Amino acid sequence: MASTPKKGLAGKAALPNASKQTSRGDPSKPPGVQDEKAEELEAEFKTKHLGVMGVLFWILLIHLAGIYFFTKGFLLTRMVLENKSSCQFLPFDDASAQEIAPANKQEGGCWHQKSFDKAVVIVIDALRYDFTVPFAPKDESESAHLFHDNIPVLYEVAIKNPANAFLLPFIADAPTATLQRLKGLTTGTLPTFVDAGSNFAGTAIDEDNLVAQLHSAGKTLVHLGDDTWQALFPGYFDANLTHPYDSFNVWDLHTVDNGVNEHLFPLLRPENKSKWDVIFGHYLGVDHAGHRYGPNHAAMAGKLQEMDRVIRDIIAALDDDTLLVVMGDHGMDIKGDHGGESDDEVEAALWMYSKRAAFGRTSRETLQPPKHAKERPIPQIDLVPTLALMLGIPIPFNNLGSPIEEAFAGPSGNDWGNLATVGRLTAAQIKRYQDAYAISRGAGDDEESANLWSAAEAEWKTGSKAFASKSTAVRSSYELYRKYQRHTLDVCRGLWTRFDVPSMIQGVVLLVGGIALLVLYARGMKNDRTELTSQLLSFAGVGSGLGAASGSILALFGFTEMSTLDLSILLAAAGSMAGALIAMVKKPASLTLPLPNGMWGWLAVLFTVSQSVGYASNSYTIWEDEIMLFFLTTFGVCAGISSMRQKTPTDRVLGVYHSLLFVIIGRLASFSRLCREEQMPFCRSTYYASSTSSISAPWQLGIPFLVTLILPGVIRGFYAGSKSYEGAATLWIGFAFRLGLLITSLFWMLEGADDGEWLPLSKETLKSVRVFLAQLVLALAFAAGTGAYLYSKPCISISVNKPQDDPNAPPAPFIAGQEQKPRTTVTILGFGNVYGTRFFFLVVNFALAIILLQKPMGQGAIALLVWQILSLLEILDTNNLTLTSSSIGPIVLGLLGSFYFFKTGHQATPSSIQWETAFIPLSTIKYPWTPLVVILNTFGAQILAALAVPLTVLWKRPLQTHDRVSTSPAAKLANPATKLLSDVVQAVCTHTLYLATINLATTMWAGHLRRHLMLYRIFSPRFMMGAVVLAVVDVVLMLFAVGGVRWSTLSVGEIFGW
Amino acid sequence: MASPTSSPVAVNSPTPYQAPAEKPSAPPVNILASPIARTYSYVHPIVLLTLGVFRFEAVVSNPVEELLSDLPWLALLQIEEKKKAAPRSPSGPTVTLRPGKPGLRRKQSAGKHDWAGVWAKLMPAFMSLALTTLLATPVLAALLVLFGAPLTTHNAETLLCGAHMALLSATGLVYTHGVDSAVWKEVWGISRPADAVWGAALGTGLGAWFGAIPIPLDWDRPWQAFPITILAGAYIGSAVGSLISRTPFLYGKRIQFAPEEADEDEKKTN
Repeated sequence: MASTPKKGLAGKAALPNASKQTSRGDPSKPPGVQDEKAEELEAEFKTKHLGVMGVLFWILLIHLAGIYFFTKGFLLTRMVLENKSSCQFLPFDDASAQEIAPANKQEGGCWHQKSFDKAVVIVIDALRYDFTVPFAPKDESESAHLFHDNIPVLYEVAIKNPANAFLLPFIADAPTATLQRLKGLTTGTLPTFVDAGSNFAGTAIDEDNLVAQLHSAGKTLVHLGDDTWQALFPGYFDANLTHPYDSFNVWDLHTVDNGVNEHLFPLLRPENKSKWDVIFGHYLGVDHAGHRYGPNHAAMAGKLQEMDRVIRDIIAALDDDTLLVVMGDHGMDIKGDHGGESDDEVEAALWMYSKRAAFGRTSRETLQPPKHAKERPIPQIDLVPTLALMLGIPIPFNNLGSPIEEAFAGPSGNDWGNLATVGRLTAAQIKRYQDAYAISRGAGDDEESANLWSAAEAEWKTGSKAFASKSTAVRSSYELYRKYQRHTLDVCRGLWTRFDVPSMIQGVVLLVGGIALLVLYARGMKNDRTELTSQLLSFAGVGSGLGAASGSILALFGFTEMSTLDLSILLAAAGSMAGALIAMVKKPASLTLPLPNGMWGWLAVLFTVSQSVGYASNSYTIWEDEIMLFFLTTFGVCAGISSMRQKTPTDRVLGVYHSLLFVIIGRLASFSRLCREEQMPFCRSTYYASSTSSISAPWQLGIPFLVTLILPGVIRGFYAGSKSYEGAATLWIGFAFRLGLLITSLFWMLEGADDGEWLPLSKETLKSVRVFLAQLVLALAFAAGTGAYLYSKPCISISVNKPQDDPNAPPAPFIAGQEQKPRTTVTILGFGNVYGTRFFFLVVNFALAIILLQKPMGQGAIALLVWQILSLLEILDTNNLTLTSSSIGPIVLGLLGSFYFFKTGHQATPSSIQWETAFIPLSTIKYPWTPLVVILNTFGAQILAALAVPLTVLWKRPLQTHDRVSTSPAAKLANPATKLLSDVVQAVCTHTLYLATINLATTMWAGHLRRHLMLYRIFSPRFMMGAVVLAVVDVVLMLFAVGGVRWSTLSVGEIFGW
Repeated sequence: MASPTSSPVAVNSPTPYQAPAEKPSAPPVNILASPIARTYSYVHPIVLLTLGVFRFEAVVSNPVEELLSDLPWLALLQIEEKKKAAPRSPSGPTVTLRPGKPGLRRKQSAGKHDWAGVWAKLMPAFMSLALTTLLATPVLAALLVLFGAPLTTHNAETLLCGAHMALLSATGLVYTHGVDSAVWKEVWGISRPADAVWGAALGTGLGAWFGAIPIPLDWDRPWQAFPITILAGAYIGSAVGSLISRTPFLYGKRIQFAPEEADEDEKKTN
């Protein structure tokens, strides 16, 4: 297809783009000199390449430092007080109150008369409140879902015997991850965001908590189920009776639950009753069913029914002195995931049951369990004082919860004396905690809580004189204590959202500085960037050394409150930036004003800046996926317009064709959607079988096969455009890539078969076959693919024509303007795109792996991404944007990465992380592979787009070697390979600039809007996503994109010389 | 109407910045010089905007019905304006306006309604409406979908939005330029010199682009529904575009797309 003349090449020689005729044997220079020169140039390229990677590493470090300082100040921290409540001392200040003889109190309970000796605490992970109450349609059209009405036992018992049981909505504090919830449920404190990431490797709780108090009260504790408990409370549980199970394998619905049942019921038999005091049983099946299938699935209905039976069995086996608590630690969103702050995620259920009448309601209206979770909800931390006082142990020191009214009101619901007593105890402990916290933090007292406390105390004194539990004074004192407790809770919520603003500003300053330097380095340099490397690195190194030294000195001599390490890091980062700035502006002649020039430059700035401004609005953050499409289509339309202006008809036709293709593919990909909760009701999810499911629909299993059928052919078409479908390309794209995609399709077919139980094979067999297939694909992509990438030849085919075969050959083939006598004519196919096609192999390798790790719908999206990238490259080429190093290419790749992030079933919310993909190539968790797999799944689109960045300057780049260029008058460079490297670095830094700007914008908006209602739902997750994307893409760009250029350039140099 | 004089501004402006390789295309279009035409050409955008404001509530409450019933009126207004104020292309699709002489053959005054005059007036009107309906509307509707308008729902809204935008932009272009391929090549390349007709067309597109911006905001206003803001943007854009692009400051200028081409050599070594 010689119909695509290239400007660069066509200018030099009247040769078709695709094939190049040249002749070997240069008589003017002896071969020895040639080789020496080539070796020199090759060595120079290799050195400079390493240097460039060093520069990118430095940029990564600057970004990490900025993110670190901002995060340190932004993610909320709470001081952990290690004070413990003790049985001997009541929480009151005045000495008179402490005179209660500890000895006899021990019998009936520490601070308060205990009501139960033993307890069975069952946590049904992700038991949402609406699972437990009868389905109540909001309007006539709404019909019951599969998750409704499957666990009726809680509601039934609470209705039938209100004195024996109560059921309440049980509101979790975000983040709704199990580890965070267990902390809240046992310590009674509010979670802070710092711990949110440690769900995988839980750390032991230092604070006073229920389990520790029970343990020190001499109770025998048993834990069954989710092994997070073991991480939080090591050593507290009876080693012989306790049976923890792996909690992370979300594709396994039954192992944990069956394990809990197996060990729980024997303990409930009368002969074993003396062996234990409190059992904590943690079922995970409901949660896993949610993660794997979503709530509206038969598996969820089955699991809930199973839980229903389990609870009925426990009730049957229970004795009179044992309290039964059943609760959810959090809910689940419409897809069955959790972690965030949406209503569905925080609304869990709490149910308490006893064989004897123990519970009361203070009013007739509250006799029935609430119909929905908005009615009479209680915070989850209320469980802590309630359980502590019911079991006769001290309230954990840090508790902020209130006693649950139903548990202390007495069977007839009028035991105001008891309520006032527990209210006073709890309030006193809260006050003690607040005082201790204020002392260690140096904070002042809150006036309103002090007033509330003294008012309550005054009422209490009047009430206790009256000796009548029904007296209004007692009642109002209870209510005042409760008010005090709730008020303190509110104050603490406010207090622990206190941000370390100076640290946040430090982080933002570092990020801004990093962006300024990137702008200068990427867009403001006229000369070859690689020549700057050594100076840049040494100046930055010296600067950071000086900064670190002065930082540690300042900190050691106590000039600042910052820790030595932090100050050293801060000043080292600042110093290195100052050094780099000096290195860059030392020669002003090589600088140019980094302003965009031309429509493309401005368009690139418009995309980046308007997107950054948009993150200030929750709406634009929510609708980011649609906005990305809007921008991409805008680019496509502009590309079409620009193509219409091209002079040569081929450029026009090809340009318009690819612009149209680009726009249409983008719109096609946009049909793959996973809506976030805030997009409802204007969005319909298509990523999974239904909006309440997290498995693929059967028809979607056809997508991988379609990809297998089409994608290799598409890539082949783009290669064939420059006659580059030669050499390794045929084997690689035509066979290996296709094979990998076929195996991937089989994998997902088996996955579907497992979900739908279509095959008469056991789950284990299917699982091991699947894991094998997945590992095979990954081996093909990464092991074989990388090996092949390192050693393969460029995609060219060389045919040798003897002169006598070809008497009418073109009179004098050109080589760099010299006329030769053609002894042998060599025709090289694929000459016009020798750099681009060779480098694209890397994209193919990663595309294969990333496609394997996506759900079927996402595989289609990634395939479209590859197509759209290729289309973009053709647009850049026909519009003369590759050789001019326009900023638009790398920026549009950035947009594509973000766009396809959403098209692969992700959103900027923690709950949309597809954890289960960790089990595609692995059957258990293995570090570091599991996190890597999840990263490849989550940020696959951004990674692929980043890998394609060097192509924006390599695609159809004319071959340049020193002997070719040196004769051309325009060329001043000795080594064309370093020019290529400089262009690659410019493109890579422009791409980084886009992501760094997005990261800065989301960071600054999250910091600025830190009191916004939607902080934790919208701004904070978007900030975290921006930061992670920046770090991941920085690494990918450095190691793989720029790293890969080394091998592709070397392989081209090996054939064509330097 | 009036004789084809060009305004003093037009003399110096229509020099293309990029040296076009092909034959020169039609120069920027002047509003006819008669006072009525001048006045009307200023009144028309304002009338459009006023009507838009006037009917805005109705569009918000029932977009499909209102947009549909507005369509004939808009078409009438657009054609009337062009008939009164803009030079027009010769009747046949194959004949193109001769470059450099806008409205050359229109000598007859407004009063003479002989057969040829009627035909000459009707034909471009008919043609511009036909092309607007058959070509511009579907193309613009498709473009709306590509920009993210729903494909499975709101089809009537999308189509009507496309039709309104087509009437605002394409009708004038077809009326004045017919199917002159050189002109249309410039249209696709957004490289027409600025004049009232081209300004209105470009303004329609840009206005619609900016009109999409308020849609995602969570203000819960009924007018945020698709396609109301887009159309509002298109109306404002077309009015503003047609007004400002005839000012001496802009008249005859072309949108520069890629100055890199000019300084490519000094910026890059190859």
